[in-house]
Amino acid sequence: MAAVTLLVNGEQRTAHVAPETTLLRMLRDEFQLTGSKLGCDVGDCGACTVIVDGKSVNSCLMLAVQADGRDVLTIEGLATKEQLHPLQQLFEEKGSLQCGFCGPGVIMSAKALLDENPDPSEHDIRDALAGNLCRCTGYTKMIEAIQAVAQLRQDRPAAKSVA
Amino acid sequence: MDKKPAVIEKEAQKELELLRAPAPAPLVPLPIEVLVPEARQQTPAVRQRATRPDARLHGLGATKYIDDMYLPGMLFCKIKRAGIASARILKVDTSEAEAMPGVVAVITGKDVPCNSFGPSLKDQPVLADERVFHAGDGVAAVAAVTEQIAAEALEKIQVEYEPIEPVLDPLLSLQLETPGIHAPSPNIYGHKVIKKGDVQKAFADSYKVYEGQFRTQMVEHVPLEPHSSLATWDANGRVTIYSTLGRITLGRADISRTIGVPMSRIRIVATIVGGNFGGKNEITTEPVVALLSKKTGRPVKCTFTRPEEFTSSTTRHPLIMDYKTGVTKEGKILGRQIRLVLEGGAYCSWSETTLGKACILSAGPYKIDNLYAEAFVVYTNKTMTGAMRGFGAPQVCFAYESHMDDMAKDLGLDPLEMRLMNALEEGSLSPTSQKLHSVVVKESLLQAAERFGWKNGNGHGHGNGNRQ
Repeated sequence: MAAVTLLVNGEQRTAHVAPETTLLRMLRDEFQLTGSKLGCDVGDCGACTVIVDGKSVNSCLMLAVQADGRDVLTIEGLATKEQLHPLQQLFEEKGSLQCGFCGPGVIMSAKALLDENPDPSEHDIRDALAGNLCRCTGYTKMIEAIQAVAQLRQDRPAAKSVA
Repeated sequence: MDKKPAVIEKEAQKELELLRAPAPAPLVPLPIEVLVPEARQQTPAVRQRATRPDARLHGLGATKYIDDMYLPGMLFCKIKRAGIASARILKVDTSEAEAMPGVVAVITGKDVPCNSFGPSLKDQPVLADERVFHAGDGVAAVAAVTEQIAAEALEKIQVEYEPIEPVLDPLLSLQLETPGIHAPSPNIYGHKVIKKGDVQKAFADSYKVYEGQFRTQMVEHVPLEPHSSLATWDANGRVTIYSTLGRITLGRADISRTIGVPMSRIRIVATIVGGNFGGKNEITTEPVVALLSKKTGRPVKCTFTRPEEFTSSTTRHPLIMDYKTGVTKEGKILGRQIRLVLEGGAYCSWSETTLGKACILSAGPYKIDNLYAEAFVVYTNKTMTGAMRGFGAPQVCFAYESHMDDMAKDLGLDPLEMRLMNALEEGSLSPTSQKLHSVVVKESLLQAAERFGWKNGNGHGHGNGNRQ
């Protein structure tokens, strides 16, 4: 067993896991953060996407021990009790999700993109979502929602710090 | 501060006068459209965006799919897959796996009270016991304290096979001399014929008769959420199964049959499903987790791996479609003969529905007075096929539209014109002589052609789109 201590959604957490445990399994099995999904377990579908030290990663491809000492953000860390993250709000309003299974991964990829590039082109968005597969609705509504969030932030720069 | 009596009296007087004033004229009733909006305006639906009731939880990552459920003491189940297309099972040795620390129970096909099920033909085992029919068949199942231990235990299970020559070609399976995969049942397990008019006479009268063979491949649904189920028993001998199953009532009958427990003692909880597309219409792991949970006295969950989704769940039927069509010089279809061979894979599943629908729709949306359509569905030693969006309709559409393009090209006709000339109209009869209503084939074609600029040359030829 290996001890892993890391920041998860701003909170320090420790778990003792078998060395082969992936970050995804640790998040789900040890911390009950089941928002990150296991879709393929080989880094193809992106349903397990989380943000580690500011970068979007497939948590099924990262060992839990590799996340030791790092800062991990999952879908559960986006909303506060008072308000949804703008991405969650706009994904809801635009009807971007159907079965919802790919949703958390897509939203995390979109967040990593917007954090790095506040004014992405449609091509940038498509590129950022290239590692996230959706089988129900397609990507059009997701792209619309991400563009709307970027627009919203440019219209109200003050909201940036809140979001 | 007290008011003087005189003032008070004056105020009272005023009030009285007001009370005695003549009643105001009755109000003119408001026009009805002001009072109540017109019915069609009352609940506008078109162009309104309906928010999904589950959208909030989806976006928060708070939706609980089955794999997100953890019951106290829950065990994880993994299924050993045969990995051989066709074989007789001589021996399954699970002793080494059972001895592993962390492994709580192992079952094989011999532990399944009634080892056969299916939506129509009961030709599918829960876990293969005597015979392997395709490589994705389960041969044993393990319940362990972690998923990793369960996966390792599968490696310790020894299975001895006696290989049997597999039948992999559906056209070979169609031959009567080919040994039956599910002997004594024949390999052709479904057949349908639709006959209308006189095809041979129509061919004789035709300016030209065209022939073409079209094939489609096997397609997996690939729901983002893999199949999953979770079973737990209560002290009164009732089992609750959380399942991604789409047809829970039908599934409950199959679970009852296979685990030998009356339906009244089986409760199925259908949860939010992460994509179905027809692929979650029948039981897969449900009897396995129910039996392992009964054996161990603990909740047991099984979630398919992505490879299992491809090898051990249903797929779309591959079709081999032979078309023969007689036409006039102008492009009018006089007669058509069709033979469809549906590859069913190892088990029947929803093949009968697919067979019927493919056959009925195989003539396409065209007026054909002389038709002979014949469809067969055969077993092969491959992954089973079943329900998938359209039940055979997309496959035959690919064939009759490709066939139409080929003919138009050879006749030197505009493929749109040739379709319009033959399209079904209001009141036309379907291949099975059903009178059709609300038929807008021509209108749809014309509108589509206008929208994408067919006249300007867009969409002509295959793969001729504008590359950017």
